[in-house]
Amino acid sequence: MPDAAPSRPGQAKTARRQSSFKALEFILGVILVGGIGLAVLFSGFLFPGGGSAVDLAARLTPPLVDMAHPLGTDPLGRDVLARVIVGGEISLTVGLVSVAGAVVIGVVMGLVSGYYRGFWDVVVMRFADVQLALPFILLAITFIAIVGGGLINTIVLLIVSQWVQYARLVRGSVLSLRDREFIQSARAIGVRDIKILFQHLLPNLLGPVIVLMTLNVANNILLEASLTFLGLGVDPTIPSWGGMLAEGRTYLQTAWWVSVFPGLAILLTVLGLNLLGDWLRDTLDPTGRTRV
Amino acid sequence: MTLKKTLAAALLAASVLSAPAHAAGALTISSPQDPGNWDPIDTFLVNWASVATNIFDGLTYRGPDLELVPGLATEWEELDEGTRIRFTLREGVTFHNGEPFNAEAVRYTFERLLGEEGASGPQQSNYTAIEEVEVIDDYTVDFHLSEPDPVLLTKLAGYGAMIVPPQYIEENGEDHFDMNPVGTGPFKFVSYQERESIELEAFEDHWDGAPELDTVTYRFITEPSTAVAELQAGRVDIVIPPTIPVGMISTIEEQEDLSIVSVASPTVQALRFNTANGITENEDVRKAIIMAIDRQAIIDTILQGEAEPITSFQGPLSFGNDPEMEPIPYDPEAAKALLQEAGVEPGATVQIDVRGNDATFGEVAQAVAAYLSVIGINATVQPYETNVLLNDIIPEGRTGEMFQQAWGGWTFDFDNTAYLMYHTGERWNPYDSDAELDALLEEQRSITDRAERERLLKEIARYTADRALEVPLYNVNALYGVNDRVQNFEAAPDSRLRLTDVTVEE
Repeated sequence: MPDAAPSRPGQAKTARRQSSFKALEFILGVILVGGIGLAVLFSGFLFPGGGSAVDLAARLTPPLVDMAHPLGTDPLGRDVLARVIVGGEISLTVGLVSVAGAVVIGVVMGLVSGYYRGFWDVVVMRFADVQLALPFILLAITFIAIVGGGLINTIVLLIVSQWVQYARLVRGSVLSLRDREFIQSARAIGVRDIKILFQHLLPNLLGPVIVLMTLNVANNILLEASLTFLGLGVDPTIPSWGGMLAEGRTYLQTAWWVSVFPGLAILLTVLGLNLLGDWLRDTLDPTGRTRV
Repeated sequence: MTLKKTLAAALLAASVLSAPAHAAGALTISSPQDPGNWDPIDTFLVNWASVATNIFDGLTYRGPDLELVPGLATEWEELDEGTRIRFTLREGVTFHNGEPFNAEAVRYTFERLLGEEGASGPQQSNYTAIEEVEVIDDYTVDFHLSEPDPVLLTKLAGYGAMIVPPQYIEENGEDHFDMNPVGTGPFKFVSYQERESIELEAFEDHWDGAPELDTVTYRFITEPSTAVAELQAGRVDIVIPPTIPVGMISTIEEQEDLSIVSVASPTVQALRFNTANGITENEDVRKAIIMAIDRQAIIDTILQGEAEPITSFQGPLSFGNDPEMEPIPYDPEAAKALLQEAGVEPGATVQIDVRGNDATFGEVAQAVAAYLSVIGINATVQPYETNVLLNDIIPEGRTGEMFQQAWGGWTFDFDNTAYLMYHTGERWNPYDSDAELDALLEEQRSITDRAERERLLKEIARYTADRALEVPLYNVNALYGVNDRVQNFEAAPDSRLRLTDVTVEE
């Protein structure tokens, strides 16, 4: 860069462009996530059969051939459109519930160990270190070999493997906040610990946590997909995006629609959530101090 | 600059011309599994045999037509009511390392198999009927048996009974032999890269004449879509089973220079019942479940006709199969009535345990679940990692009401299946105990009269079908993907490929 003085109008233009891009991010994110969320929410109403009606005679019908199956049928003759939309239920449930669970555990652990330090802190953080050292797939295969697959177990596995991230994030923030004046004064006037933790500390570190959450929801939808893909996830008779992808794999060259549409659904959902996450980070933390 | 470029281009062209993708007489095969050890007594893997059938010979030989013919023994004679078999050995045979083949090699092979070294592998238990191998002279041996073994001659044609070179093993040690096999077969071992490939070359001095090919390379490609892509690209000539899922048949057939060769295999698929717990404890419920499943429709659609319906846990090629046996017909109405009689309420649940990596069977299991929902049973499908299902869930009796069992003995003898599946206390029989069935199973084991034994095996098949111990689903075909440049290739039902007569076109 030549060290010519930056011109003011140019800077304003960049800023404007940035803010209009941010708005676009937000709008696109809301449309994608909202649209998919609504479709999935009303899937029971749209497809009362849940896309589970098997019709072996109509297997692998291409899209747009039979208007009863606008996106075609899978190897068992089930409607791909219905299954993509109903399948979102599992994928979104896994994504949202697992993140919620991880946040609750992680935040409480992080608050407690950051605030009290000492023995509890050492125990939690060493445990976290050990867990971070284990590759996810190894943890997943071991976990599922012991307790079995299924929806609940998949969610538990994701919670177990992810609370650490929140605990570390929160603990770090608490460490920098606990010696600040407003906390010191609250303690000086005898506010109870539990109140300090949840009324004074928590609101101040929620920003980065929310950002990490939006990223993790997307991530967990993909993890559920890969677990089901490996045959370790949820019951294959219940449609889920990952399961559909796996089933379509052998037909990729002869019946692309079986796997392309659920893949597209994952792509759009993850894109929407990432856009919202980006927007949220810029809005909550405009100086970009948070590192996630 | 220009000159250099031209030169480089010319060199490149020349090198491409001089080194075509395939050297003359070179065949490349994709195999889904690396056995990791080439010693005959250390393995039970089909994909060991699809390589090693070319390296080793047995006393008897069984080719793609499943007829038992002389191998390293030119003739044999059963003596002492089947408790002694005298083999006359082929003369003038040498191992790949030049060592001569004789009675001593036979004695060494079986002493090793039945001794300490064999005890550490899975093959020994198949040959325990052999008490002693006695050397009569250089080219005559007597096998002394503790009791007659009707399947022994077949078992001598493969796996643990492959004849190994005594001197070579003694000089180089067991570990060396595991990775550098030497036999008397038509191809000799050249090199092996773990999980990657094994290369063989023609053994010119083979007793049955030198093979047509110069070299054979097996590449271990686990992932079906990768193997098929390599076949499409012409980098492998044959993809051997069990690789190609039924769903990929049309992908291969659409390409002009490739074809699918399908042949009946020993592998049968069944959904076995948990007869100890859940609604499947009741025999009538089990029969209702069998009636509710349209197995022919599953074969015609999901399996695209690449399977045969079965009536007991064996295929049509199996010794002991009864072609007269009628399958329980598809009849959902009768199934419903039967369920009602048995007092099973609509909404009863059944869990079907399957192997998570078996895509085709995953579809079959879901179709079964759909059929069961028609008669008011809610079925869930539980995929397991294959090893977990086979080593943990089934043997310990922790399955759901139904579980997938794929089985296929290369001997094509129902004993191999029936005894292990139905005899009390066997690993694959975690739930059932039936004294009458046990007696039948034990009785047929010591009979050498073929007709009488076949009658007993058929009776066992009927008995298990009457008790509805499993949903007999189908006998799948073995699917080979073959490039048209491969000539004289005969697909083996048991995947034990012998490539002596195969040639390749340029």
